[in-house]
Amino acid sequence: MAGADSPSAALRRRDLCARGIRLAGKMRSDVVNLLDAYVERQGLDASASVAAVEGVPQAAVERWDEQTGTQRLLENLAAYRAFRALLAQMLEEQREQLGEADAALGQALAAMLLQVSAFAYHLEELLRLESRGPPSEEEDGPPPQPQGLFEQKLRGLGVLRELAQWAVRSARDLRQLSKPGPGTGSAPSPSESP
Amino acid sequence: DSHIQYERVGADVTMKCGSMDWDAAVTWTANGTDIDESHLNGSYLILKNVNLMQSGQYSCYEGSSWHLKYQTSLRVGTSPREPVLMCRSNNYPKGFYCSWHLPTPTFIPNIFNISVIHGTKEMVCEKDAVPKNRCHIRYLQLFSTVKYKVTLTVTNALGKNFTTLTFDEFAIVKPDPPESVVAKPVPNNPRRLEVSWQNPSSWPDPESFPLKFFLRYRPLILDQWQHVELSDGTSHTITDAYAGKEYIIQVAAKDNDIGTWSDWSVAVHATPWTEEPKHLTTEAQITETTSASTSSFMAPPTTKICDKGAVVGSGAVAVCWTAGLVVAAYSVLFI
Repeated sequence: MAGADSPSAALRRRDLCARGIRLAGKMRSDVVNLLDAYVERQGLDASASVAAVEGVPQAAVERWDEQTGTQRLLENLAAYRAFRALLAQMLEEQREQLGEADAALGQALAAMLLQVSAFAYHLEELLRLESRGPPSEEEDGPPPQPQGLFEQKLRGLGVLRELAQWAVRSARDLRQLSKPGPGTGSAPSPSESP
Repeated sequence: DSHIQYERVGADVTMKCGSMDWDAAVTWTANGTDIDESHLNGSYLILKNVNLMQSGQYSCYEGSSWHLKYQTSLRVGTSPREPVLMCRSNNYPKGFYCSWHLPTPTFIPNIFNISVIHGTKEMVCEKDAVPKNRCHIRYLQLFSTVKYKVTLTVTNALGKNFTTLTFDEFAIVKPDPPESVVAKPVPNNPRRLEVSWQNPSSWPDPESFPLKFFLRYRPLILDQWQHVELSDGTSHTITDAYAGKEYIIQVAAKDNDIGTWSDWSVAVHATPWTEEPKHLTTEAQITETTSASTSSFMAPPTTKICDKGAVVGSGAVAVCWTAGLVVAAYSVLFI
């Protein structure tokens, strides 16, 4: 296993970051399109303010520029793992609500789920390079599922909106990571899970 | 005892001479000039349907003693119309600024008050010394979906008005135009121009927040622009320039992921390299270059018309050169 500072690890990190940045860019444009389609299909008001929904990772962050590389990776990974579970639930809900009537939306959601999973994988690999390893997922239960149809739609809106923000944030995070210098350090994060 | 008195344009103004009785004998002056008695009602000065020209210093003197009994500075103006407010982030992710102005002047002093709310949090917009009517805010949070609500209130002695802007963090990102745009001919290449530029100096971190660029260029004698979008790098070589024709070139910038395009940069001019004609004297060379832009336009012999490569741009801009040439030939004759 290559040490965190070996040349091959540095190359692999740059490669993973570069691919991650491209993937984040694609996720962003795909989720923006998906958001438009979702709002239309679900009969929602695009300008509606959606209060932060439980279980949906918020991209908003304070002192973003002061985060360490490891912090960035951990926060991103937690978010995308949550999005993976949320999108899976949304796919289920969508199949139940609309059945086969809206294959296009279902396909778009499934494609998004794939991209999110791929991105989570990139993050796990980057964490392995930090010789820290990704945290296990065993404790993470599935997110609470909203009961009513309207609540499900609102949550879906919230999920896609936050994912659109996260995709932008992730690209920025990976660029910070691929910069040479202290930003890529693996200083222990203050919010380390026990 | 001196006051300032603000009155609306078109109003009827009645000025009393301080504590003097209505039937006291007084003289009023406006900016030192006596006012005709026809404007008086007893000792009151009546100004009907005041206009801006009537602003000034009004004084009232007791009839016989010429003691100054009252003085006021009359300022005629209007209450404010709805102000114009604009907010923009040209230094993302540091913060943003808002600037404002009144669409029409009020002619009297105005006070502007700005409030910025992010969700439930009230933020402080620090006023800039220069320019006035501008304030800036540092972002406390990034990547937030919660919108910002900016309310600008303008108040003066005759009334108040306000306007509100609501936007999210990404929507107002608009960099300043690229700087130091330079365009140079490429030696021994009659169809090339090398263009380079720099990131706007106001953009704090182009490494983490890279900009992408839009280049547009055209020969001076044509109206239609060619466009090139560049996702990285701060230089580009134009390879389809018309030999010997002077070009005008501009560049715009945008954050890679969010916001809108900057304004166009300052325009630069350049002409591709041309081979020195060996058989002409210096004088004849000068004549040739100055007449080149005014003579009827002819495609240089080396230019292929409607090459696949000569059709550039996309969508509405994609055009074959021949259409441009025909139009240009006619338009040049009318210059």
